[in-house]
Amino acid sequence: MTVEIPKRIDQLPNPEPRYIGKRVTRREDAALLTGRVEFIDDVALPRMLHAAILRSPFAHARIRSIDTSEAEAMPGVEAVVTGADALRWQRVSGSSPDGWGGRCPAVEKVTFVGEPVAAVAATSRYLAEDALERIEVDYEPLEPVVDPFAAMEEGSPLVMEANGTNVMMHRVFTWGEVDEAFDTAAHVFTERFRWNRVGANPMETFGTVCEWDPVTLEMTVRGAIQSASFMGLGRAATFGLPTNLVNVKANAHGGSFGGKGGGRGIDIAAMLSRKAGGRPVKWIEDRVEYLTSGGSQAWDRHYEAALAVDADGRMTGFRVTLVDDLGANGEGYGSISAAKPLTAFTGPYTIPAAGYDLALVATNKLPSGPYRGMGPPPHFMVLEQLVDIAARALGVDPAELRRRNFIPPEAFPYTIPSGNEYDSGSYEEVLDAALALAGYDDLLRWRDAARADGRLVGVGVATAVEPGVFDWNAYATVGLPQTGVPEGATVSFDIRGCATVRVGFAMEGQGQYTLVSQVVADYFALDIDSVRVIQLDTLAAPPSFGPGGSRLGVAITGAVLGACERLAEKMRTVVAGLMQTTPETIELRGGRFGIPGVPEAQMSLAQVAGTMLARSDLLPPGMDPLPEATYVWTAPDRTPADEMGRAKSYLTAAQAVHVVAVEIDPDTGQVEIVKYALADDCGTRLNPVVVEGQTDGGIAQGIGAALYEQYVYDDEGQPLTASFMDYLIPTIAEVPRSDKAAVVTPSPFTALGAKGCGEGAIHTTPAAVMCAINDALAPLGVRARETPATPERLWRLISGAGVGASGSTGEEREQS
Amino acid sequence: MKPAPLDHAAPTTVGEAVALLNDPEREAVALAGGQSLMPMLNLRLARPDLLVDLTRVEGLDHIRESAGWIEMGAMATKRAVERSSLVRERQPMWHEATLQIGHPQIRNRGTVGGSMAQADPAAEYPAAAVALGAEVRAVGPSGERTIPATEFFLGYLTTALAPGEILTEVRVPVIPPGRGWAFREVCRRHGDFAMAGTAVTVDLDASGRCTATRIALFGVGPVPARAVEAEKIVDGEAPGEEIFERAGRAAAGAIDEPLADVHASADYRRHLAAVLTGRALAQAATRAGRPEGS
Repeated sequence: MTVEIPKRIDQLPNPEPRYIGKRVTRREDAALLTGRVEFIDDVALPRMLHAAILRSPFAHARIRSIDTSEAEAMPGVEAVVTGADALRWQRVSGSSPDGWGGRCPAVEKVTFVGEPVAAVAATSRYLAEDALERIEVDYEPLEPVVDPFAAMEEGSPLVMEANGTNVMMHRVFTWGEVDEAFDTAAHVFTERFRWNRVGANPMETFGTVCEWDPVTLEMTVRGAIQSASFMGLGRAATFGLPTNLVNVKANAHGGSFGGKGGGRGIDIAAMLSRKAGGRPVKWIEDRVEYLTSGGSQAWDRHYEAALAVDADGRMTGFRVTLVDDLGANGEGYGSISAAKPLTAFTGPYTIPAAGYDLALVATNKLPSGPYRGMGPPPHFMVLEQLVDIAARALGVDPAELRRRNFIPPEAFPYTIPSGNEYDSGSYEEVLDAALALAGYDDLLRWRDAARADGRLVGVGVATAVEPGVFDWNAYATVGLPQTGVPEGATVSFDIRGCATVRVGFAMEGQGQYTLVSQVVADYFALDIDSVRVIQLDTLAAPPSFGPGGSRLGVAITGAVLGACERLAEKMRTVVAGLMQTTPETIELRGGRFGIPGVPEAQMSLAQVAGTMLARSDLLPPGMDPLPEATYVWTAPDRTPADEMGRAKSYLTAAQAVHVVAVEIDPDTGQVEIVKYALADDCGTRLNPVVVEGQTDGGIAQGIGAALYEQYVYDDEGQPLTASFMDYLIPTIAEVPRSDKAAVVTPSPFTALGAKGCGEGAIHTTPAAVMCAINDALAPLGVRARETPATPERLWRLISGAGVGASGSTGEEREQS
Repeated sequence: MKPAPLDHAAPTTVGEAVALLNDPEREAVALAGGQSLMPMLNLRLARPDLLVDLTRVEGLDHIRESAGWIEMGAMATKRAVERSSLVRERQPMWHEATLQIGHPQIRNRGTVGGSMAQADPAAEYPAAAVALGAEVRAVGPSGERTIPATEFFLGYLTTALAPGEILTEVRVPVIPPGRGWAFREVCRRHGDFAMAGTAVTVDLDASGRCTATRIALFGVGPVPARAVEAEKIVDGEAPGEEIFERAGRAAAGAIDEPLADVHASADYRRHLAAVLTGRALAQAATRAGRPEGS
């Protein structure tokens, strides 16, 4: 039976929706703010043990031997695992690209500082950590390789000897006539950029409680898990178990942003549990572990990029050469971050041809993991700097140059050269809204006046497309060829007509339980507080991926509406039987079923549900009496990727323009953000409060990447940023307040016209801040090309005191 | 991230605390606000046998004025200092330094004595103490002694406190009317340890020339240090941008070997020290000779 999911709010069977599109306070918050929600470290099970992990102090070393006998003999120690156990129980893990996985704890050699070498389960975490000190590991240190260019050279130490190279993948993508575009361009602007390692830093690190029964081999995994079903599949694959032996109960968690990796922590806790006779084993990742060895690091990139522009200022070609340092293996799926820019390669512009020379390189650093935005934010930082370089060289206002190259509203749906299709957009409208909100003309006058006084001030305008609702086909180029990411929901009424929705994902902070309640409440004209949302374990829940890739809001709205449609259809059949008419005659409107225009032929939801469950004598023959329906939503019309990685992948394309004004202290290099204004268009705003919250968070993380955050390693591969004293995430004192304007161009493809917006501003903020900094530096003839733009880096540029490793003076190669 | 096994004692008098710290059988350390010691314990970088917790010791949290000195008990929290109108009015540089320490949560727990005894090279109180001519009182097995701040900081995280001695009080002279002062630092983020900082006082003589100038730099060397050569450059001169910049350069030039870490190289730290010193001298000179609050 096909189900028509409403694409607009006015298609709901309720003339007066009270919640969708309104500023609805998040229903999750009262419980969260009063400590009623169970997080993983709150879990206490009978006979539970506590794990601690012994980690490699070397970036690269052979393990000659491990002696755990003293640790095992300590009172309170119940199990110890090493690589020998991994060898016995685990398969080599999946990875992207293929062939870059391993086992955990390490077998034979370690390849990054912090790699697990052994682990202990004891009756307390204190005892477990004491026991780690009694484990003797004999290492033979090997020469590490920490620079990806050195790693690509002949004769470099090999991170994985068996692969014979550190180049995990090298591919050249050509989309359209890119050579011709550059050969015939009036102007070509080329620049190099360095984006240093940054990553997710949720308030709560990863944690898990695992039980692995040595007799039945049933594995129960609790934890701060972002995608419960995906994590369960991964564990089953790692241990060679039938997938229905692994049940995942994800706890609510304190943020993720992609950083809740944790698969290896689960593997260790599970093996300890099995060795301890199936007793539950808790492992809570501490902050040092998170920062040095967890899901914390992503996007370690060296770019060379070029933009071809014709005499009228139209961009005709865009080329990117990227060397992406993925660290010690492909288990973290950092490669996806290099592939995802295909889904929005040319941003909001009509650039007809593009090329991408992509090298993924292994080094002896923490394997790169996912991070909010999953790769495009650095890509857009690069593209937007080139657009500004072009604007400056051509003497065109940067906002105007962008306007001239925008995909026009009538061109949607629009297929970009790298294959993805954008659903809709109104880019000039967004630009105008942002410029108006920022007072752009006044800002430029302020800048010019301050500049005349010798101050270093700049205004940046940057724009980006946020691909929303991910699909696996976007990552076919790095070995993930599937199509479709299902998300399911079950909507049911009980005998009294109370509504319950069952979903497969945990609370993570984006207000999705509120969204589910909004949708059901408006569909059936209920009070939002009467809708209960329940999370099920993976073996009980409908298929679910959960949050990720700016998908869940759109996906769960589709799933819930699909289930509502199905349930309404079922209830219509019952009502039709009672009213001795056909189901097509019965209408659901404003929460009542009945014959339109006949006031006495109307039934409430409770009457219908009660009849179904308590009056089988009144039901049509053979009628299923359960007032419940499940719907599993997946993005429509997705296509497999071709040989150049082209596919209809991400379903939606949100867009934003950010305007930033900065002042740089020329003596210290410190950047002050003077003004921050933005406009964005993510289609129908299902809950504007939530959208704005996502935007604020994305700005904060974007400010971090642009100005503060960097994971630093020394030449031996030792991490130098192992605490928040050294890895600097911005605080409330560093994040500017922003003025926000909304433009709404509904998606023609999604439930209610919403677009993915969860990753949001991180796509645009780093680009905008760097544009503003470079505008400020322009009178000096220097250019910031490395993130974060730290005070010292800017001071060096300003004072000409020295040139950093990645260069610092700008030059464009013009050809005529 | 749990400490290695240790015992915990919570004495209620200074005498008991000193006795515990001098137990020959055990390696004991004093615990004040725990803002530095607790992470070191949890990382197992510090592994004492005994933690002598000073939070219940009576009589160590006063903030009072006595004979031209502001006296602060070692266990007075930074938050209490921050909120003290006495400190704000009579020792405004100490108040300003307090505001730049960490965040409210840290100031709620961290103590005056803990900061001084920890002697982090980038900490605010040690620098202010050196610039202001503060004194430290300590009690050990052989009684009480007073140590000038300029002689208290011996090296990186190292002070003149003898093993088994407890810092009990920090006393800072009030800022007399007419003395100009400035306390400036550059951090990556608000509340971070400084990449460089400077604490400055300047007096003006009857002819409007600088005198009794004191400059202490922090965050650049292993201990907060007076920049004596720079002070001499300023003294006797009329306030002016050129002289202050020259003094800043001299102060920075005198730093032996600036610290370097992921946030700032030695060169950059030295440069910041010069810039900040110049700016701080200008600010202090502007304040000098004016009644407070103007």
